Amino acid sequence: MSYRLQRLPVAKPSVAFAARIASVVLALLTAGLVLKLVGMEPLALAGRVLKSTFGSSFGLEDLALLFTPLLYCGLAVAVALRIGAWNIGAEGQFNLGAFAATGIALFVPGPDWALLPAMAVAGALAGAAWILMPTLARAYAGVSELITTLLLNFVALLLVYWVSTGPWLDPSGHALATTARLPVAVPEFWGIVHWGLPVALILAVGLAAVFAFTRWGYEVRIGGSNPGAARYAGMPVRRHLIAVMLLSGAIAGLGGMMEVAGTVGRLQGGISNNYGYLGIMVAVLARAAPLGTIATAFLMATILNGGIILQTQGLTTHTVLALTGLILLYAAIGDEAAKYRIVKLAKGA
Amino acid sequence: MAAPSIQSRLGLVPGTPPLVSLRGVGKVFPGVIANADVDLDVFPGEIHALLGENGAGKSTLMNILTGIYQPDEGEIIVGGRAVSFASPVDAIAAGIGMVHQHFKLVRAFTVAENIHLGWSETPRRISRVALETRTAELSARLGLAVDPAARVAELSTGEQQRVEILRVLARKARVLILDEPTAVLTPAEARELFAALRAFVAEGNAVIFISHKLDEVLEIAHRVTILRQGRKVATDWTDACTETSLAQQMVGREIVLSDMRGTERGRIGASVLALEGVSLMSEGVTLLKNVSLELRAGEILGIAGVAGNGQRELTQVMTGLAVPTTGRVWLEGADVTRAGARRIAAQGVGHIPEDRLHAGMAPALSITDNAVLREYAKPPLSLGPLFRPWRATRLAREIAAAAEVMVPSFEMPARNLSGGNQQRLVARREMRIASKVLVAAYPSRGLDVGAINTMMRYFTELRDAGVAVVLVSEELEELLTLADRIAVMFHGEIMGVVPAEGADIEAIGLMMGGRRAA
Repeated sequence: MSYRLQRLPVAKPSVAFAARIASVVLALLTAGLVLKLVGMEPLALAGRVLKSTFGSSFGLEDLALLFTPLLYCGLAVAVALRIGAWNIGAEGQFNLGAFAATGIALFVPGPDWALLPAMAVAGALAGAAWILMPTLARAYAGVSELITTLLLNFVALLLVYWVSTGPWLDPSGHALATTARLPVAVPEFWGIVHWGLPVALILAVGLAAVFAFTRWGYEVRIGGSNPGAARYAGMPVRRHLIAVMLLSGAIAGLGGMMEVAGTVGRLQGGISNNYGYLGIMVAVLARAAPLGTIATAFLMATILNGGIILQTQGLTTHTVLALTGLILLYAAIGDEAAKYRIVKLAKGA
Repeated sequence: MAAPSIQSRLGLVPGTPPLVSLRGVGKVFPGVIANADVDLDVFPGEIHALLGENGAGKSTLMNILTGIYQPDEGEIIVGGRAVSFASPVDAIAAGIGMVHQHFKLVRAFTVAENIHLGWSETPRRISRVALETRTAELSARLGLAVDPAARVAELSTGEQQRVEILRVLARKARVLILDEPTAVLTPAEARELFAALRAFVAEGNAVIFISHKLDEVLEIAHRVTILRQGRKVATDWTDACTETSLAQQMVGREIVLSDMRGTERGRIGASVLALEGVSLMSEGVTLLKNVSLELRAGEILGIAGVAGNGQRELTQVMTGLAVPTTGRVWLEGADVTRAGARRIAAQGVGHIPEDRLHAGMAPALSITDNAVLREYAKPPLSLGPLFRPWRATRLAREIAAAAEVMVPSFEMPARNLSGGNQQRLVARREMRIASKVLVAAYPSRGLDVGAINTMMRYFTELRDAGVAVVLVSEELEELLTLADRIAVMFHGEIMGVVPAEGADIEAIGLMMGGRRAA
């Protein structure tokens, strides 16, 4: 009796899912081992993280507030991946969305019921505008959107720093580096959790449905997988590329609007908090599936939240970044390993 | 009287052991038996052909022999001992090397760098000049002329193949496996290759030659082993075989390679597709020059010519993938010059593209997604903007059934299908929409006799149903048996159009070389 590994052309979904779970568990175990080696008590720390996150409604509310922007950014990156584009600029689009929404809130008078939708539209449009140039450069000149979207992040970040410490600085003099509190806020429905979260969840479900059950979704799938085949079938590949990339920017921008008008209440530098970059990981772990993004954004939120709690225990934020890196590494290994199965051979070979 | 032994017929000392033997080799993939109980002996001095339809298990068997796969059953015997190869590195160390159909060279590297890449005998530190000198020595010693300093990307396909062979031989291979080596070669290059192979085996080495081309197998090989559905059918001396006998054993049924032209004259109908003075320029290069063609319902128009003389562009103009710089395209009297691929397809023009995997399919997507590429936008698959995946799967099943392709799962990426099955699916998909015209570019490329036969039957079916078929092919034989008229292309121009019946092959050959029809 002997055993041998056999490679399958495609991994079975159940095995692939199990491999994902295993990769997260292994990453946590590895991190725990390292903590143990430096003299910490990983089990006690884990217990503390779990207790503070899931043990109280305060913890869960904090988790939900982290989950929301990660979901928007993850969806933004995932959508672009469907047409084969890497939106590394969700961070910048998120900032621009927050910026535009703040502008409307601070300088446009109007009733709340009109202001909030206007802010949402402005946020989404600003996000889309921020990816417009990379989109056109990619669609008409073949310029890699990887670099252009990334570089625009720094511009967006600095723009928000500048307005929130300069022209838009809180005139009351109480705040040093933020704008005044916005006169409107996204309403809350549970503790401090606002409607930004359910909107993001509905968006994820809606996107999944659009990709699976519309002609447009089918064309985007073909165009993203093989533009040559899409042209052969007469699909407007360039038009779809432009539409999808703008949609991606708009989703990130909407996320920024929800963050500033729901969670933070004021525009301040660094409001994006790396959510745009973490969104790349969220989308890749979900294999660009909108519904999967819900799960991976939740996972990422839990890890981030754990990191915040660990900081009170004397660990740096780098620990958390290392942990997310470990998860990605193990997930990549797990994806490959899921394609193998062990077969039993009747006779020795 | 006992039959003379294999050894004596090959001029070997009686009792000479084979260089390599396979004994009862079997390999199972999920849902597929790729090989079962295959025996194979390859002797020194022998060119041994391996013949079989697409999916007959030739590639799997050779992948087992070269350590890419491990057998589930049976054993490999080299030099009298059972061996087990964990990887191609082990196989080459035992003297077995393979040149794959798709070359495994680094295009940005020079010939010398490619030869020395991943070779245990490459010195750890070596200058570029020394690397090239070593390569030049190898090239001279093994009689394969290459330019050591040239970049692989700049070489012709034939030259790249020579680099691949040199790479294998430099590692002291005694058994050289070639997977359809002539598919990418010009006739002159193929002759050179055959001469090199004969010289190689004359020194007591052996060649395993995988091919679909029956005439070639009869010409070059001493013995031939035929595989069918993963099993060995027979091993014969080629001098006792004919093309017909080989084809029958390979396919397992009678096949007709003879005249398939329509018998009833006068069935040819009205003009369907017409090109009028079509020229196509791209970046200052003339790809098509003043092409005028008329295509009538119920005829097969063959397009002959050496590949790269404008055939691809011609099919693109006919199917709306390219807009001619000057000239017009008419479809049943309507100007479709600028209609675009979608509208032309919707009006009943099917297209089997030259590079099916990259132009006609999305290999990473599911078989369902690929099968419905032409009909996804119409009811019942789509209602308005809504797409219905369950109806897509139903249509994919229908197409696979018509194409006689066994599909274990319609969710499986299309790239997991064999080349022949991909081609059949694409052909069937296009036939469904080709109510007026089918444009087929090199539909038989890479297919075996049985699959080619099926493909040709598809075309005659369409023709008999009154569809106009454009068949682009390099195989003159194929055009002569199938087409009603043959147009010959050279440097983007039509050199002449001749009726296939009673066509003078020599005259067509001259036109392919650039001489105009008298």
